Amino acid sequence: MFLRMIKGTLLRQWKKMLMIAFTIALGSSLATAMLGVMLDVGDKVNQELKTYGANITVVPKRASVIGDLYELEDGGTSGAYLKEDELGKIKTIFWAFNIVDYAPFLNAAATLDDGSEVTVVGTWFDHHMDLPTGEQLDAGVVSMRSWWEIESGAWLDEQAGADPDAAMVGTALAQRLGVTAGDTIHVTGSTSDRTLKVVGVYDAGGDEDDQIYVQLGTAQALDSLEGSIDSIEVSALTTPDNELAERAAKDPSSLTVSQYETWYCTAYVSSICYQIQEVITDSVASPVRQVADSEGAILEKTQLLMILITILSLIGAALGICNLVTASVMERASEIGLMKAIGAQNGAVSALVLTEILITAVIGGVAGFFAGWGFAQIIGHSVFGAAINIRPMVIPIVAVLVVLVTLIGSIPAMRMLLRLRPAEVLHGGH
Amino acid sequence: MKKSTMFVRMITASLMRRRSRMVVALLSIAIGATVLSGLVTIYYDVPRQMGAQFRNYGANMILTPSGDSMTLDDVAAGAACIPSDQLVGMTPYRYETVRIRETPVVAAGTDLESAKKTSPFWSVEGEWPSANGELLLGAAVAEQYRLKVGDTIEVTYTPEELADASADPATVTADEMILFDVTGILDTGGSEEDHIYMYMADLETLTGTANKADVAELSVSASGDVLAGYVERVAQGSDAVSARLVKRVTASEATVLSKLQALVLLVTTVVLALTMICVATTMTAVVTERRKEIGLRKAIGASDSSIIKEFMGESMLLGLLGGVLGSMLGFLFAQEVSVHVFSSTISFRPLLVPITIIVSIAVTGLSSLLPIRSATEVDPALVLKGE
Repeated sequence: MFLRMIKGTLLRQWKKMLMIAFTIALGSSLATAMLGVMLDVGDKVNQELKTYGANITVVPKRASVIGDLYELEDGGTSGAYLKEDELGKIKTIFWAFNIVDYAPFLNAAATLDDGSEVTVVGTWFDHHMDLPTGEQLDAGVVSMRSWWEIESGAWLDEQAGADPDAAMVGTALAQRLGVTAGDTIHVTGSTSDRTLKVVGVYDAGGDEDDQIYVQLGTAQALDSLEGSIDSIEVSALTTPDNELAERAAKDPSSLTVSQYETWYCTAYVSSICYQIQEVITDSVASPVRQVADSEGAILEKTQLLMILITILSLIGAALGICNLVTASVMERASEIGLMKAIGAQNGAVSALVLTEILITAVIGGVAGFFAGWGFAQIIGHSVFGAAINIRPMVIPIVAVLVVLVTLIGSIPAMRMLLRLRPAEVLHGGH
Repeated sequence: MKKSTMFVRMITASLMRRRSRMVVALLSIAIGATVLSGLVTIYYDVPRQMGAQFRNYGANMILTPSGDSMTLDDVAAGAACIPSDQLVGMTPYRYETVRIRETPVVAAGTDLESAKKTSPFWSVEGEWPSANGELLLGAAVAEQYRLKVGDTIEVTYTPEELADASADPATVTADEMILFDVTGILDTGGSEEDHIYMYMADLETLTGTANKADVAELSVSASGDVLAGYVERVAQGSDAVSARLVKRVTASEATVLSKLQALVLLVTTVVLALTMICVATTMTAVVTERRKEIGLRKAIGASDSSIIKEFMGESMLLGLLGGVLGSMLGFLFAQEVSVHVFSSTISFRPLLVPITIIVSIAVTGLSSLLPIRSATEVDPALVLKGE
């Protein structure tokens, strides 16, 4: 009987119920889309901020003390190098998944034919790696120097089996020497000399404009430094620093065991640095403050902004649903009066009305969830060009929200109606 | 006159009698209007506020000498080509090689107050120098010389023309020497750690030459074409200096900022569309509920147009009230967001008030028109019978 009555209402008053379901669907799609975007916006913006380049640099322990001070007369005076064969280990640290890109650098001082000095930088361009985890990674300066403008020629392509003599030249140097893509430059290193083929000229808007970029092996050969590198730049997705991270960065041993664990297992820039130092022998990894700090500030602001907009839209959606549900319950005053007049208990009436509304709410809520998921994907694809990854926690939040809001909307109205005397309601005297 | 007073009285009486229902409807319209005015205000304000956040990355433009050297006055003249409300900071730097314990170190003379603005990411352990005779040490330099905050060091400068003859004891005495207090250690993770930073006046005393700068860093709160326009302006306005953009900062900022703007725009659109539909359904429900009343009026002889007019008047009055309420609440919301997220206030946009009110009147009007129409078309007998 109960079921038949509910079915009756849903079928007879389908128009009204459809409208309620529609509003609930709107509300829940809004909640799903906003929560989905809000929870994912940190990761997405973090990816975007990678265009600023590396946020961690790794240098050999001794060199970091003496620094670049003597690099003017360089050629190998600092004598401390990192080992090239350890590079793969960076992708084996705890936060390996957060390392999106990295590239080694080796600066070799070379002499041009006209006797002037030039820095030849050996690095990875689009180096392909097959990681022990089965993953594949293309890392190098092509993605880490996204602000470089190629003025002539193209990026040096390592994967296409490039010639070891291929080189890219900075625009200032290229102008001085009068070379463009296709020309050759003869450079003499401390132990050997090479004739480099220019494949591209870049404009970096900085010191790099006076340098020559070649593949790592080529630069190593100039100074007979096979297997050695000067520094590594790492681009990692990080969590903005907090007080714990700042303390840990100064001295990890000052933390208690549980604090240490929290710190080690959170993607703070300092804990990633620490983990890199653990795998690369005699290295010092330090955050590039210009990038790391600014990233943190921008991420935090964007997330906070999205949270506040989400709260506003959640309140809006909740009030909208609440209103409509109250309206629809109030509308049924005479029906409820009639049921009471023919002897229905308050409990039975409430159960009936609530069940009807909740069934409608669930249908609307589920439809709305999928619509909201769609909205989130539209936002993700048009803004970031990538799908928004809706966190599983969105489902229970939206479900609880819909049920709670529906109950809050209907219960006070029901209580009011139940308090009324059936005769009054039926007489129509409200 | 008489007819119009009757019209007003009918509308207000109807609103008063059905107070609770009307409050519900008004609330929903007000929420819609709040979302509208609040989000649009935020949308217009975000580029400015976010742009300010991006200045965390430091200087996005540098001034270099067009010829061999430039004076501090040239730098100031160059910076004057940029509107002062757009200029976050301007810091001139002069680099000289000085000696600490007979080993060479690059010293930068600068205005440390404005360096704080153009390089907000500098992390200083201890205090920033606040007077002449105080020094900021790069972390690498501090480690090399085993210096800490609070130490005092002697910094000497050997003029270039005398450096070659350093074997001659007579010239060594010509060195300028100043005793500095180390007030802070600079940690940036970049090449700044290899330098020492002091006030320009100290470096001028050390070197004996004044009014000279090698480079000036500018942090300008503009991006894209506007920024490129400023480079042009400096090029036209000054012969002694030439401006260049720090490509790493400007190119990346343009990419990220445009994405953020697109994000807020899309989110605003989706939220607005859904909220407006929500308001519309509520209004439709409110009007549909009154079919009986419409039927009764028709039965006692009211014309369709007078019914439509009255009901529309009622909804639009609600729309007006909701719009006014919403534009105020929306501004408050946007202000809250701005204060909490960016710790700065936003300016009130007067144009947004009429827009919000018009939109909310339009939405309520349109969404009640359809159900009123359908109610008036039905035979009053049927409506009154309750089917």
